[in-house]
Amino acid sequence: MPALFANDQLTTEYRFRGKDGAYRWVHDESRLLRDATGRPIEVVGSWVDVTARREAEVSLRAGEERLRLLVGSVRDYAIYMLDPDGHVRSWNAGAQHIKGYTEAEILGQHFSRFYTPEDVAGGRPAAALRATAAGGRFEEENWRVRKDGSRFWADVVMTAVRDDRGALVGFAKVTRDLTERKRAEQALRSYAAQLEVANKELEAFSYSVSHDLRTPLRSLDGFSQALLEDYHDRLDDTGRDFLQRVRAASQRMGTLIDDLLSLSRVTRGDLQVAAVDLSALAAAVATELKKSDPERAITFAIAPDLVARADAGLMRVVLQNLLGNAWKFTGRRPAAHVEVGVMAHDGRRAFFVRDDGAGFDMAYAAKLFGTFQRLHAAAEFPGSGIGLATVQRIIHRHGGQVWAEGAPDRGATFYFTL
Amino acid sequence: MHDRSILLVEDNPDDEALTRRALAKNNIQNEIVVARDGAEALDWLFGTGPHAGRAATPELVLLDLKLPKVDGLEVLRRIRANPSTRLLPVVILTSSREEKDVVTGYGLGANSYIRKPVDFGQFVEAVRQLGLYWLVLNEPPPRPDAA
Repeated sequence: MPALFANDQLTTEYRFRGKDGAYRWVHDESRLLRDATGRPIEVVGSWVDVTARREAEVSLRAGEERLRLLVGSVRDYAIYMLDPDGHVRSWNAGAQHIKGYTEAEILGQHFSRFYTPEDVAGGRPAAALRATAAGGRFEEENWRVRKDGSRFWADVVMTAVRDDRGALVGFAKVTRDLTERKRAEQALRSYAAQLEVANKELEAFSYSVSHDLRTPLRSLDGFSQALLEDYHDRLDDTGRDFLQRVRAASQRMGTLIDDLLSLSRVTRGDLQVAAVDLSALAAAVATELKKSDPERAITFAIAPDLVARADAGLMRVVLQNLLGNAWKFTGRRPAAHVEVGVMAHDGRRAFFVRDDGAGFDMAYAAKLFGTFQRLHAAAEFPGSGIGLATVQRIIHRHGGQVWAEGAPDRGATFYFTL
Repeated sequence: MHDRSILLVEDNPDDEALTRRALAKNNIQNEIVVARDGAEALDWLFGTGPHAGRAATPELVLLDLKLPKVDGLEVLRRIRANPSTRLLPVVILTSSREEKDVVTGYGLGANSYIRKPVDFGQFVEAVRQLGLYWLVLNEPPPRPDAA
């Protein structure tokens, strides 16, 4: 027993088993008393029950161990500690994975080696420590350097760690490698910039088409007309006919250019999507058509309450083209019928415009929506072959589909979804 | 000096000939002064460059937009910025009907915007109407040098 005592003092903790069978922890402070000859004679001491404290310590250690294992095993985040001066005090697997240093290499090193030389020269590591100490927390995205010298785009969060009395004991750092995201963002920005340039070029091109291609046409038409007027008596009927053909061709090309421009305009600009009353729109277009030739015997049957979410301006262009076609291709019928309605198609609503006019051969259905494609001779039914191409572009911009059914002399039906 | 002339700002000789023809067909007999680019138009109006000391105020300006050196919109801006030409009637007569040009043209104070049609018959009619309006019906603004 005396062997336990150093300088006749004993301070220790141990367990007792109580009468109820449960163990209690005690803190023992004891002193060995000796007689005049120095022989131990008795022990005087006190016990304090410290069972609660001992249990709390055990659970704290277990918690710390779990946390250490957790932090240690995280691979996607570098989680490590710095001392108040910025020297690395702990290191996890994620830190090794992201920055390339092993724990043995980096412990005790200054964290400024993770910064780029420019940032070190600019005093950014010291500034980060100051900002964190002052504000408690500091966050930034910036370039950092790996052990092999390569750079990565890092998201860094630094937190000041203080003791019970508020004294700074160090910093906790969490760093993520966002290089891939950064690269994807840069690629996206570069695509967007390229797209903008392409759009600008397209606009410049449209402008040039609108201005420069029309100018020579005015000369062709104007001087042909001047010849017809000023040299009328020196031209025979054939000569005058030729000049009329030149004029007609110039004017047709003028119309083509205008139609092409409106086709390209359809794909420019943002879609202004809102609830659109297609019934009202179709009725307005039908009224315009009837006004253009009040003599025509044609009836429009427009289903009520056809409402869709779409761009109203573009839907008007769609209906102008589809109803305009129906009007045109029923021109040889003594009495024509045009129907506007809706039906179910593959679980979606398909709107349709149906006429009982000239129709078309289904063998050519695929050609209908191509630019400049025409299924009828210009002499029979005039047109530039751009209307349905325009319709298709508008419907595709809305994420819908457009198709047609018909038979020669049995009418045509054009369907579209939105 | 001022007169009853029309300043035609037009770089294309074909368009110039056709515009002269359309004016003649409508019996518009005002003198036609042609400027072949924007700089020439400004020199003529403000008496600068080759026209030093001979500033002239026409009855009407017919202005093309796409011009060498100084473009039509810039010519219009300078006309409106100068007190002596601030109120001068300017009709934009051009090929383009790009919305951007129309909006900018009116924004800079154009009095009309007319797109030259391909069909010469329609062009003659357009010139007839604008001549009737600007040279006959319209009461012109007081001339700064007469006021």
